[in-house]
Parts: sequence; structure tokens; C-alpha cells
Amino acid sequence: MAVRRDARSPGEPAKTFGRMPDGCTGDVRIIRSAWTTIRFANGRIHQPHLERSTLVSLRVADGKRLATATGSDASTAGLDALAATARAMARVAPLEKRFPGFPRPTGRSPGAVPFSQTTASVTPEEATRLAEEILASATARAPGARVSGVVNVGGEWRRVANSSGLDRTTRTSMVQATVLVDRPERDPPVSGWSEGAHWNVARFRPGPLGEEAAERMARTTPAPVEPGPHAVVLRGPAVSTLLSYLAYLGFGGNGEVEGWSCLARKRGKKVAPSTFSLVDDARAKETIPSAIDYEGTWTERTPLVDRGVARDAVTDLLTSGRLRRKLTGHAQPPEAPFGDYGPVPEHLALAAGDASEDELIRETRRGILVTRFHYVIPVDPARGIITGMTRDGSYVIDRGEVVGPARNLRFTESVLTAIAGTTLLGKERRTYAGERPGGSVTAPAMAVRSFRFTSATLF
Amino acid sequence: MEELIRSALAAADGPGVALVEVRVVAPDRFLQIAVRDGAASALTDARRDALGVRVRTDRAYGFATTTDLRPGPVRDVARLAVRLARAAGRRAPEPLRVTDERGPDRGHYETPMKRDPFRTDPAMVVDILRSAEAALHVSREIKSALASFQAWDEQKWYASSGGASFTSRIVHVGAGLTATAVRGSNLQRRSAPSSHGGNAAQGGFEFVDGLDLIGRAPGLGQEAVDLLGAPVCPTGPTTLVLGSDQLALQVHESVGHAVELDRIFGSEAGFAGTSWVSSAQIGSLRFGSDLMNVVADATEPGGLGTFGWDDEGVAAQRTPIVDHGVLVGSLSSRESAARLGLSHSGGTARGSGGDRSPIVRMTNVNLEPGDLSLEELLSGVEDGVYLDTNRSWSIDDRRLNFQFGTEFGRRIVKGEIGPLVRNPIYSGMSPVFWGSMDALGNSSTRHLWGLTNCGKGQPIQVMHVGHAAPVARFRNVAVRGG
Repeated sequence: MAVRRDARSPGEPAKTFGRMPDGCTGDVRIIRSAWTTIRFANGRIHQPHLERSTLVSLRVADGKRLATATGSDASTAGLDALAATARAMARVAPLEKRFPGFPRPTGRSPGAVPFSQTTASVTPEEATRLAEEILASATARAPGARVSGVVNVGGEWRRVANSSGLDRTTRTSMVQATVLVDRPERDPPVSGWSEGAHWNVARFRPGPLGEEAAERMARTTPAPVEPGPHAVVLRGPAVSTLLSYLAYLGFGGNGEVEGWSCLARKRGKKVAPSTFSLVDDARAKETIPSAIDYEGTWTERTPLVDRGVARDAVTDLLTSGRLRRKLTGHAQPPEAPFGDYGPVPEHLALAAGDASEDELIRETRRGILVTRFHYVIPVDPARGIITGMTRDGSYVIDRGEVVGPARNLRFTESVLTAIAGTTLLGKERRTYAGERPGGSVTAPAMAVRSFRFTSATLF
Repeated sequence: MEELIRSALAAADGPGVALVEVRVVAPDRFLQIAVRDGAASALTDARRDALGVRVRTDRAYGFATTTDLRPGPVRDVARLAVRLARAAGRRAPEPLRVTDERGPDRGHYETPMKRDPFRTDPAMVVDILRSAEAALHVSREIKSALASFQAWDEQKWYASSGGASFTSRIVHVGAGLTATAVRGSNLQRRSAPSSHGGNAAQGGFEFVDGLDLIGRAPGLGQEAVDLLGAPVCPTGPTTLVLGSDQLALQVHESVGHAVELDRIFGSEAGFAGTSWVSSAQIGSLRFGSDLMNVVADATEPGGLGTFGWDDEGVAAQRTPIVDHGVLVGSLSSRESAARLGLSHSGGTARGSGGDRSPIVRMTNVNLEPGDLSLEELLSGVEDGVYLDTNRSWSIDDRRLNFQFGTEFGRRIVKGEIGPLVRNPIYSGMSPVFWGSMDALGNSSTRHLWGLTNCGKGQPIQVMHVGHAAPVARFRNVAVRGG
């Protein structure tokens, strides 16, 4: 199936909104997607998955009382039914006093974003071949090792319309892959990791990911490392996780409204060295692009940390009303559980520096090289403290060289302390994404002066 | 619906196809009402109906799904599932083995309940939530408060080309409160009856009635404020008593996931991780102290992991996992059970909807109670801490090193529960921790908890699972203040 170039939804939102009684307004999201997921483990393809879906999410405001209904029928009759369900709920909703109303379609379109029809139309056989290419390259580089991972490929077409006349669409295509190469029979087991993503399958090279994961797997037995503060060199996947939590805990609109943002009292202040510049840009060609958010607001480049200085949190319709700030185009679907995730920057790009990985290691002198993190979760959001494990390729750095693999460690550290301690940034950037195009992080490796490890594990 | 399923079964059947399974979940409905700080945080009636076709050849599975339940699109995805299975199997090094189980001829399972939450007046629910949320605001230092209600309705049709079929209607319902108090960068949360959305169970609205959200709200808000001024939890190895709520999550993370057979065999290595347990150790591995008895019970009344048949048509079972501290069982599907050499699956293969393939999931993984009352259990503590209600959780990819933060702690001095401490964190290694358990509360301390946010699989599947746990005591645990 295809997310066709000329895709149209059969329903007419304007008719549905026109039939709603006086005082009722609304907006609707119609999302059609086609994705193929090819997992591989133990050297074989397993759990291959293909999905075609339509999701319709219609929100009604009865005055300033809001409710949402979702379904999968995008016809006008389907929209009418959802509007009736949402209206019935909205009538009993508490008042959202600062609801600013659905926005009019002001401003000119900043233009389309990159999209690949070929990527959105990949066949099951083509998707399987991408996975097989990773399997073959990893196996060639590490014969006898176990190879696991996934390829996600496909596309999504999204239309957002509202009763104020806004009616916009965007298309997103993506191929994303992760690969883990491990030797579970070793004591302790060792593993290596690689991942990458692109909006265009024609520019995506799966084979090198398999080779990189194999090369990152330790050849010798990992040694225990004493927990405590260590300097670290974080490879791209680890930086990507760190930045995602910085975005959620520091730049999410809900954290600002509810008083738990770790940057609430630091806006306009220096929080990192001047070399550290982080933007959110859903239109950049290196991201997984999207032209609009889930409320139809045009996406735009939003500085978050500008040469070390923290900028404002991002907004959606509700938080822009509550904070009395402009819309920044970061809305999530309104049906998200508990509505507590709120608007978050999800197309992050950290400016590159000029250091190679070898230079990052050399300048760090003594510390730990971390490939990625695992099971990261906030411990104390207001202080930006998160915890998690290292995984799939940690190494000891001594006298500016990698001297051997390290057993994995648990860190418990503030994202603010981490970015404030940035000493160097890598010159190579890569894009990392989840399994569906909710966003991406484009990041280099980075060196951090001190990172607190609080315990160790057995492998 | 039967006609649609027959058409999918027929479209997927063909040369080389060993089995076709069709599963439709319609409606797959989620109702949520949440009031945050006097406003509607979420009022949503969400449906995501879908049909999934899983095809097995002698070498591989293929799964395809659609939300378009018309005959044409359904036949299309059935054929795509066959193409996927063939593509996946073309380089498979060996045949795919599964246990020889047929499934029910025709079965039906339905959630027992008194008040269908989908027939409840939403205005009445909003009134309860507004009153409870308002009652959490006991102080200006309560910066945010949330009262929420959720209900899930899953009506399922399952049929296979082998002649098995069943239908079910499973209803889950839950509710909870959270008060967030802030003083400078000191943020404290108190939730009830549990964090991360409250507690949930299989049943009707009577479960929400039993939570007494309005009655417990003022005390909960006050506890959040009191925590702002409480001392930080002391640091050092100590005796730890875990409340039932936090212990349920401990069981989930360090026992339940560790005994999933797909993780043990490496099928999840690339995403969720593996396990410190090997398949050869099942039957002999010392997992914890002699007091430790764990079962996976898909028949537990009210459990979120309770059902009639799993999504491979295997009947719900009660399986011993840990017996007097020794690992004796695992969670399995037809494929993983066959790989272990078992003749029958443990019946724990579930998909989170019609659009997801069945994978090994927890059912209700329960820690069995002991024989001590809470007072008797505490009387053995000269100096320690009582922790409950999860705030943060993390564990390594082999389920060994864990760290949990809880919303609150209380000192225990000479067998008595004492004052509040804030930001408590405890950590450890799974087998060492379970080996240090020296006392278990009796059935009066046992409580059944519902977790609605267990993530696993690619694409991700968020599953509902249950855990019953009593109160328990652990010696020499690393505890600190965050």
C-alpha cells in the first residue's frame, strides 16, 4: 500500500463542522499510514509486521469545554459520528478558561518538506531485504556472533482541519534500523550497537550499521569499573537519549504550566557552554520531517539552547493559552493518555563541533566511552535527574586511549549537569529515530566533564 | 464478522501455509476522563478497531493488519501476511517448531461486572473527579493535581484455519489521584491508590466506587505537602519493608520480565533485552529465599492479565514460576515452549490489539503471601525504612541491576512506623535482593494491582498485566535519599 502522492481523505471536515450547533467548534486529524516492521533475532527474521491504518481524531469545543473522539472511519458520516460522540462528552467537561479557540489559517505556507514516495511504498520483500543486508554485514564482520535488530520503513499522510478554516496536510516517510551484535555465551556477555534513520530509503545504507555494531562489540572480557563520577564520551545514541530527556523535562509546555520544568527558573540564563546549541526543527533535511504538528500549526525552527543559553518551552493550543504565549507548533494528538505529555520538541538537532571520536577520547584522558543508554527514566523532574544503564559497548578510557571494555554501570545524573559539563562535541552527526515518525534527534558524540554513576551491574 | 473472518482465512490459505489465524478486536475502545487543576486534561472516547492476520509457514510467521474492516482491504492484508511469511522464511536456517495445540472449538469469555463503565453517565464521573481533584488542593504549595478515570473495552473474535475459534469481551477500568507539591526545586508527588494513573482491574465501575477518590484526596494532598518538609531519606544499607504497591512493580520488573521465554532465548535481545536466567536453569536455579513463591495466574479474578484464551487459542492457566525460591517455570508461547521442549504453551501469547501480533506477555504474575501480619513483620525491624508507591523505575537489560524510587518513605524504629522521609531510592541485584527476603505479609496485606503501561515488542505493544503482592521485608538493602 502506499501513502499515495495524491492521497485525499474521503470525508469533508468543513461539512461536519458546519453541521455542529452554535457555540461548537472543532478540529480533526486524519492520519493514514503504511508501515512494515522487520525484526530479526538469532540470525533469522521473526515477527515481520505490516500495518495499514487510518486514525481519525476529532476534538470538539462546546464553548470552552473540550472533548475528543477517535475512530478509523474518515468518511463524512464517520466524522459526523465522531463529532456527536465528542460533543456529548464536551457538554459535561470542566471549563478550559484559557482555551484560545482554534486558530485561523494565517500566514503563508513555508513550503513542503522532504518526502520519498519510494520509501512510503516499500514492499514486504524489499523491507525484508534491508534486514537481510544488515544480518549479512554484521555476520561477515563478527562470524558466530548473534545478530538482532529491526527495520521500520513506510510512510504517513496527515491532514489537520479545523472549524476556523484551517486545512493542511503533510507527508512523512522514514526508514529506521537498529542492530545489536552480541555473544551471549561469553561470561560476561558482550554486545555492540548501531542505529540510524533517514526519510529516504535510497540514501539509507543498512550494511554499514551491521558492521558498526559488530565493531563496537568488545573482543576482550569487560572489566568492572568503580561507580562514582567519571568523565564520559557519549556516542550518538547516548546523546540522543540525553537530549530527548532534556527536551521533555526542560522544554515541554506542560512542565512549564505545572511548575516541574527543570529549566523553569533558568530561561535566558547560561546552562551550557557557548558551543552547545540545540534547536528543534521539523523541516530540516536531516530530520524525519513534518510540515505541521497535530493541530495544523506550521512547524518552524525553534532555538532551545542558543549558544549555551536556555530559551522558552514549546507550546500547543492549550499551553499557549495557559502560558499566554505564541503557538510554536509542537502539539501531540489530544487523545494522548491523561493528556500529561503535552507539547514537546521532537525534532532535535544539536550543533556539531569539530572533534573526531578519537579526539574526544584523547581530550577526555580518563573516563568511560558510552555507546548507548537503556531504560532511562526521570527520578526528579524538577532537578532534571534521570537514571538508566549503559548498554552495548562501554569502554574504559585511560591516558586518552580506549584501553578495554567496561562492565555496564547505572547512572543517576541531572541532564542539566551533563550539558553544563560539555567539553567537546563531535563533528559527525547522525539522525536517530523511533519506530514511527514521532520525531528524531540529530546529534554528534559529545564529551562531558563529569557524569555520576551510582552502581554497577555484573556484565 | 464471521463472514469477514472466513474471507480472511480463505485469502491467506495456500501452498506452504501451515496455519492462518485471524483476530478482530472491535470495538477496541478506550474511554478516559481526567481533570487537572480544575480543567479537562482529557476527555476522550477512542476506538481503534482492527483486524490482524497471522500466517505460519514451515519456516516463519508473517503478520499483517488493517483498520479498514471491509472485505477487500481485509483480503489484501491476508495476502500480504502470506508474502511477509514467505519473505521471512526464505533464508531461515531451520524449520519453525510450535507446540501441537488446536485451541477451543468454540468458546466465549466475558468479564464479570456489575456496572458497565461504558454505560456510566460521564457527567457523574466528571463530578466525582472534579470533587476529588479540588480536594487535593489543600495548600497553595499544591501546584498541580490530577484525578483520572479510564476504561477499556476489548471485544475479540479469534479463528484459525485449524478450526479453533473463540470470542471474548474484556473490560478493564481504573482511576487514580495525583497531587504535586512544589517548593523551589523540591517537588513531591503523592498518588493513590497507585502512581502512573492509579490502579486498574478487570471489572465494572464498582471498582472505581470502591476507591473512594473523594474521601482519600485531602489526606493525599496533605502528604504531598508534608513531604516538602520531610528530611531526605537516610543513606546506607538497611532493612527495607516494601508496601504491596511497590513490591508489585518489583515483581514485574525483576521476576516477570526475567522469566519471559522469548527474552531467555534472545528473541528480544535487540530491543527489550534478554535475561540473566538461562533455559537450562529452569528447575534448579535459586532465584530467591525459601519464602519466595511466584505464580503466573491468568485465572486470577479481577486481574488485568485474566482471560479465557490467549491470542494463540491456548486456555488460561495458573503456572508456578518460583517454588520456595527455586525457578520452576516460565512464561511461554507455542513457539518458545516448543523450543524449550515443552508439549504445551503456557498460554501467555497476547497482542495489545487486533493490530499487533501475539508475543509472550505477563498475565497476573503474583508473589504469594506468607503468614505474618504487618505488625509482626515490622516487629522484627530495629531500624529500617518502609517504602511504597513508585516514583521511578529502571533495570538493566538482563534484569539484574535495578533502581527504584518511591513517592514516600517512613522510618521504622523498634518495630514502629515513624516519620516521613522524602526522595527515597533503593537498588540492588535481582537474585541477591530476593535472597534477602526474610518475611512476608499474610493475605490481609495482599493486594491485586493492575499495570496498564507494560511496553514490549516492535512495533511497541502497551499491555495490561496484573500483580498481586503482600508486604515483604528485605535485609541489608542499599537505600539512599535522592
